[in-house]
Amino acid sequence: MTKLWAAALVCLGIAAGSLIVSCKARDARDHSPGTTRLADPSDVNDEELMIALAQAKNFHHKAKVYMSDGNVAAATAAVRQILSLQFPAGAPEADDVRLDARALLAKLLVSQNQLDEAMRAVEEGLASSQRDSFFVANLHTVEGEIHEARAVQLDGDEATKAKALEERHAAITAYDKSIKINEKLQKQLTGDR
Amino acid sequence: MARNDDDDILTSAVPEPDAEMTPSERAQAKTFAELVDKTLAGRTPPAMSTDDRALLEVATVIRVAHGGLELSAAKKRSLVEEALRRGIGGAASTTSGDVAAVTPIRSSRAKRWAPWVVASVSMGLAAAAVLVLWLRTPAHDQTAQAFSHDDDSLIGPIAREHSGDASARIDAIFADRLDGFRDRRLTVRTRGGKP
Repeated sequence: MTKLWAAALVCLGIAAGSLIVSCKARDARDHSPGTTRLADPSDVNDEELMIALAQAKNFHHKAKVYMSDGNVAAATAAVRQILSLQFPAGAPEADDVRLDARALLAKLLVSQNQLDEAMRAVEEGLASSQRDSFFVANLHTVEGEIHEARAVQLDGDEATKAKALEERHAAITAYDKSIKINEKLQKQLTGDR
Repeated sequence: MARNDDDDILTSAVPEPDAEMTPSERAQAKTFAELVDKTLAGRTPPAMSTDDRALLEVATVIRVAHGGLELSAAKKRSLVEEALRRGIGGAASTTSGDVAAVTPIRSSRAKRWAPWVVASVSMGLAAAAVLVLWLRTPAHDQTAQAFSHDDDSLIGPIAREHSGDASARIDAIFADRLDGFRDRRLTVRTRGGKP
């Protein structure tokens, strides 16, 4: 009889434990947890994300207007402002929008013959990227364009012909990286469907 | 009343076996006999001398040692019922006073089933808690995951001639998220939750 009661009490303990665990798990899901954990896309505040995206959209339009007006410096400044926008933590859109802004920034700098500055913008973007995406592939494409532009500059002098060749090789390497990423992602997307 | 050595029968000198009984000894014997009779009748006086109490205890022990004592009817009945109860699987009950408490047979069965009932109800509760946790995934989480995501499937591969068309791409991303934002808000309001 005592053993039966002990078994019953064990069952009661399990039930109480299950209830506590359920309640705690629901609380953890409903409220932000006290322990440290990585930001997750599901935690993203939709309002904050929409505000950040709207601001990025406006700066791009501003830059476009400046470009159509021939004011490349002002367009560059407008694009730079996109890089300092505050996105909600864990939002994958932040990475995509910034990489795209860096690609446009690099192209604008190339058009102003600021090749080193353009390359820095690209390298910073590649270094900060969290994952392979079509935006990273696009940045590699722009990287290749910068190498090509450098090669064209070096072509003018006989002494720098070897360096121009190196730049052309670097451009091919950058385009290959871009192609590789595009192929990988397209395969993934086709597989997902 | 003054007491002489004869009054203290335990500490005074032991008389000779053939010595004549003194009146004092006779009186003490008579008093003690009355005290024993009262004790056997269940009417033990609340106060008595230490010597009388010691003698009475000795007399009681001698009587018990000789055996042949009769149990009271209530005591007999309770002992029989206790033995029967043990025979049908019940636990020994605690006694209070002279009469043992006797548990009815129906109550004993209920006691046997009680642990099983508690265990079953507990396990049912545990299963229900696990089911609730598993089935009731908040809809908020599902919409949140669908809302913020990467844009690879939306934008697709970027052709070289369009690498600078970031403005068109941000328009597409914004429009896509705006749709999701509206759906999310409308869904939350329909469910009656906070937006």
